[in-house]
Formats: sequence, structure tokens, C-alpha cells
Amino acid sequence: MKRKGLKGLMLLMIALMLTLSACGGGGKSGGDNSSSNSPAGSGSSASPSGNAEKTGEAKKLGIMWWGPDARHEATLKALEIYTKQHPSITFTPDYMAWDGYWQKLPALAASKTVPDVLQMDAAYIQDYAAKGVLEDLSDLDLSGIVDPSVLENLKIGGKLYGIPLSQNAQGIAFNKPALEAAGIKLPQKNWTWDDYFAFAREARAKLPKGKYGIGDSTNLWDWYNWYQTANGAKPLMSDNGKTFTLDKDLFMKYHTTFEQLRKEQAVPPADKSLSFVPNDPNADPMATGIVMTGGATTGSVAALYSMMPDQIDVVGVPTGVAGGGWAQSTIFLSVSANSENKEEAKAFLKWFITDPEAGQALKMTRGIPINPAIYKTLEPTMEPKDLLGKKVYDMALEKALPFYPIAQGFTEWVDTYKSTMEGVMFGKTSIEDAYEKLNELGQQIAAKNP
Amino acid sequence: MAYKERNLAGYLFISPWLLGFLLLTLWPIAQSFYLSFTDYSMLADPVWTGMDNYRKIFSGDDVFQKSLTVTFTFVLVSVPLKLFFSLMVAMLLAKNLRGMNFYRTMIYFPSLIGGSIAVSVLWRNMFGADGYINGILAWFGIEGTGWISNPDTSLGTLILLGTWQFGSTMVIFLAGLKQIPQELYEASAVDGAGRIRKFFHITLPMLSPVMFFNLVLGIINSFQMFTAAFIITKGGPVQSTYMYAMFLYEKAFKHFQMGYASALAWILLVIVAALTALNFLASRYWVFYETEGGRDR
Repeated sequence: MKRKGLKGLMLLMIALMLTLSACGGGGKSGGDNSSSNSPAGSGSSASPSGNAEKTGEAKKLGIMWWGPDARHEATLKALEIYTKQHPSITFTPDYMAWDGYWQKLPALAASKTVPDVLQMDAAYIQDYAAKGVLEDLSDLDLSGIVDPSVLENLKIGGKLYGIPLSQNAQGIAFNKPALEAAGIKLPQKNWTWDDYFAFAREARAKLPKGKYGIGDSTNLWDWYNWYQTANGAKPLMSDNGKTFTLDKDLFMKYHTTFEQLRKEQAVPPADKSLSFVPNDPNADPMATGIVMTGGATTGSVAALYSMMPDQIDVVGVPTGVAGGGWAQSTIFLSVSANSENKEEAKAFLKWFITDPEAGQALKMTRGIPINPAIYKTLEPTMEPKDLLGKKVYDMALEKALPFYPIAQGFTEWVDTYKSTMEGVMFGKTSIEDAYEKLNELGQQIAAKNP
Repeated sequence: MAYKERNLAGYLFISPWLLGFLLLTLWPIAQSFYLSFTDYSMLADPVWTGMDNYRKIFSGDDVFQKSLTVTFTFVLVSVPLKLFFSLMVAMLLAKNLRGMNFYRTMIYFPSLIGGSIAVSVLWRNMFGADGYINGILAWFGIEGTGWISNPDTSLGTLILLGTWQFGSTMVIFLAGLKQIPQELYEASAVDGAGRIRKFFHITLPMLSPVMFFNLVLGIINSFQMFTAAFIITKGGPVQSTYMYAMFLYEKAFKHFQMGYASALAWILLVIVAALTALNFLASRYWVFYETEGGRDR
């Protein structure tokens, strides 16, 4: 009996350890910045040429970004150039895809091992700035490089937490040859949400079974947010996450429309919709030829283009009385608040958007370069996929609304939106119930935000 | 004195493991217990909130209930299935045939890559709407569903995956089968017992300690089920595969509610511990230890 008791205890310990190991996936630290503890020579900060570092001691900067392969290669090349120009600075690069990046960063932030330089996205920068992960960059002189009004717009609580790298915009890509072959009216610039739904129905009538004009965006919160704001209502989250607005009439109208479209088979059935894997050539809704349209940004349309060359054209997000879509910077480089090489990191940031050689190496891998001088040097050599990115921007600019990030504390709401609306797609939840649930949770989170 | 010194030397020798246990296991466990009574976002300091987390979990968190239901369903279905399946395979592999080692290797082989991410990705490709399974069904004119993207079948595909990863359970069964003395079978054959009788009256009782071990470990492992749900279904659709471990992970590392997640971890610990204790109590009535019986080897 005694022995059995011991065995039980052992199993308990095993259970305990396994329980804990489920949440132990921290991952290796991206930036090893332990090489030197002494503060950086302050003279080097503002010098754009960076010559001051030549006399400085050797420094290793951790840098981390997400993106496709093309961006990885281009960025590595740019880092090489920087080291060639500033031999005292070397890098520990860490790069991955979008999903992995945002899974890894929270763990790094919690253990205070965020690399010196990190890429940031408009969707998350507010959250990370509020948590004190990012360094204030307001003192970095960017006059003549970035439009001051752009910088002013990007400030969070009066401080600049990320240097914008590019102009980005949201649009919709469509499969031009397939639509033309079926005799469907192509999407026009500044089309409206009514046009969008009419397009779906026309496509249903003219396309063979199993092909669809539009995808089912019932479970995508940002699409609904575009709809709500295009119709003149407040965004879902505003006022730094302190106000939550879920317009009941618009919510009901939008989701009833999609319910209707599912019945008419003008969008794919729910189980099909949820099995698409964007950017996977075998499972991407557009690349497989199943859906004729899909969301695309200036930065992402090139990846789509490379899967289906010469078939893609773009148009803006459907608009309403207030406008539609967004066109602004969404990719940033930030400096970690815990970095021991802040001045070196800031100098690198500035170099990243000003140096012509860097511009040539980076090309359009992060969208249209924010620095007009760099963009001009690239323009003559732009490839069709790059021009397409520019076109997304041009299509969006006229009617663009602001970009609405996930406000502080709202990732949970976004996840709940997805799973709840999936219940609606499968007919397991009514739209009315979904509204009640999402509105309640949203109000709760907003009330809790400081 | 010499005795004491010897002791000291002993502790010194095990100190790497002892320290590892104290610092890397016991201390974090204690810390998580403390955190479970706080509101902690990982980036700001924890704020003591008393029983708040536990109260919230038990009074109004329907995701907690949902994930618990999903996890219990998974455990209740997948553990017996896996035990049954691995016992059957082990019995086949226990036979003395030519080249048996080759078969054993081949059948155990998938378990080497076990619960890895690669297998999960493979599973996604097999059971996706355009996956291999539907490709095969199409030859017979059957139109399959998107197995992992349909809330009615998604949990089933994960259970199937769990059952397919039977290797280690099977190996333990196999070792257990090899331990059963042949005389017992011979004696019962003399008494005229058939194969089914032999199975129920010799194999099963003699195997019951191994069965018990596999059952307890199987239950614990199934409660921890994470990788497959995380990679294949991401807990969806409609949270039909939202395993408890996944819920815990998302609370901690996606929503930054470390305190809440710690409370969830402790609740899981209590559940698993209670079930294990229950198993040990019940084992008195069905597990047969040779040393306790008449025969002493």
C-alpha cells in the first residue's frame, strides 16, 4: 500500500509536469544583446552617416521580423550592407511567418528578451506600446524622409513607437480572366457593398457549380468592421479601447445577407470556407480557382500574384456613405524598451529608410517605401507584382478610412467573434444570440480598459 | 560522523537533479499557485485578487465549460479506443513468426514521429476538404465533408489521430504479454480452455497491472492534448476541438491573462489528480498483482 501511495504521488508529479509543460513553449531568445553592458556613446545617435560608430566598440543588434521568403532574403541582404558600411555593428536576425511571430513575441516580451529592433504591425502596436515593450522614438529626426503629418497620425499618446516603413493599403484582388470568361461585370473602383453582394449573386448565376464570386467573411471581424464604418457608424473599438460599438442594425443586416448568400450558394459552404488556407497553393481560395475574389494588401498582393501570375487585378474594399478600406502605414520598425543598444538601434532604423543601397536591396518587400526619394529610384525597375501593390494603394486612397487596430485587451473579443460567427455559419447559433454575446463581451472589455 | 559525510556526498551527487527539480519544477509550480490568485498580464506586476479567478471560472465562463466538455469527450472516447487498439496490435505482434522484428519495427515506426507537428500537418492534409481521404471517397462517388473544418466531425478526426499514435502503449502491452508465463497457457490448454477463455482468464488478469499503467498514463496524456488541436484545427470550428490545454495556452499567451490561466492549470491538476486517485481506488477491484496472489516468483 505504501508503495502504491508513492507511485500515486509520482504519477501526480508527472501529471503536474505535463500540465505545466503545455504552456512552456517559450522558444529561443531572438536577440542576444548581452555582449556589452556599457551605455552607447551618445554622440552617434543623430549622425545620419553613422560614421561615429567606427570608433565605437563592436555591437551585436538583435533584429526580428515576419514576412514571406522574398522579404527575408532582401532584409538579410540589407543587414549585410549595413555591416559593410558600419563594421562595428553586426546582427542576430530572427525571421518567421506572421503567425509564429505573434506567438513568439508575447513570450519574449514577458521574459524581457525582445530583440533590439523588431518589426511591428499597426494591428498590435497600440497594445505593445501600452505594455511598455517599445521605446519612444519621438526624438529621431525624420524630416525630409517621412511626411510630418503621417508621423503625427502614428503617434500613440503623443509618442512615436515605430518608424513607418511603407505605404500600405487594403484592397480586393480578383481573378480577371476567369471573370471575363464567364461574362461577369468586373468590380469597379469605389464599388459599394451593394455592388459587392450583387456581384456575388451575378457570379453565382454565371459560374459553374462549386465556384464562387466572393468568399464568406462572416467570421472575419475586420471585414465586418469595414462594413460598419463604411456605413457611417463608429468602429467596433475606439477611444483606445474604452468605447465599444456594435451597431445592431448593421450587424443584423450584414450577417443576414451572408446567411442568405449561403442559402443561395453564392458563397462556399461553411466547412469549405473554413478549410481554406491562404497562401497555400493547394488550399488558397483564389489560387485553387474556387473563389474569384479575396482580400489583399499592398504588401501581400505580390505573394498572391506569384501563385497565379498575370491573372490578378485589384480594386478597393467596397465602400459606403463614409468611404471604405484604409490606406496608410501599417508596418513599422520599433526599438525594444529593454534594449542596451538603443542609440545604435535608432541609427539603424533611420538608415533602413534612407540609404539608397538599402532601398535597392529591400525593393517593395514591405510595400511602397515610405521615403519618396527611395521610391523614385525603384519606380523604373518595378515588376508587374510591384505595380499591382501600387495599384492597391491608388485604388484605396480616395475613399480610405483610418486603419482600425485591435485595441488593448480585445484579442479575446476577436477570437470570440470568430468562433461565435462560425457557429452562425454552421447554423448552430442565431445571429441575434451572436449579437447579444459579442456585444456583452465587448462592453465588458471596454469598461475594464483604463 | 562518517555516516553524515556519506550522506552529504550523496546529496552532492544528486544535487544537479535536486536543484533542477527545486528551481525548475517546484518553484514555478509554487509561483503558478500564487499567480492563480492574481491578475497578471506578464508585462505589469501581478495584482492580488483573491479567489476572483476561480469564482469567474466556475460562475460564468462558458468557454471553460465548453472546453471541459470537449476534453472529457476526447478522453472518454480516445483512451478506451487506444487501449483496445494497441492491445490488439500487441497481441498480433506477440506471436512468434518469421520476420516479426521487422513488423514490430514497421508498426512502431510512426510512433517515433509521434505527436509531432509534422504528423499534425499530415493529418490536416489528409482530412482537409480537398484532402486525400476525400480524394479516395470521390473514387466511390461519395462527396466527403471538410472533416477538420466541420464541427460535427473535427473532434472525431483528432480522436482518430490519438488512436493511431498507439506505439508506446502498444510496446508496453507487448512487454507485458511477453512476461506472462507460458505454463499458464499450457496448463489451461490441458484443461481444455479455448482461445477466448485463455484471453479472458489468463491474458487479461495477468496483463491488468500493465493495463492499469497504460490507462492512467493515457488519461493524463489525453487531458494534456494540445499539439494536434493547436496545429490542425486551432481549436475550431465553433470551438468543437477547443481542448482544455489549448484554452489555457490562449488565455496565457494570447490574451495575457496569466493569473486566470494559472487558475485553469490548477483546476486541471485537481481534475487529473482526482481521476488518478479514483483509478487507484478502483484498481483494487480489477488489477491483479502476481506477488499479492498465491504464486510468488
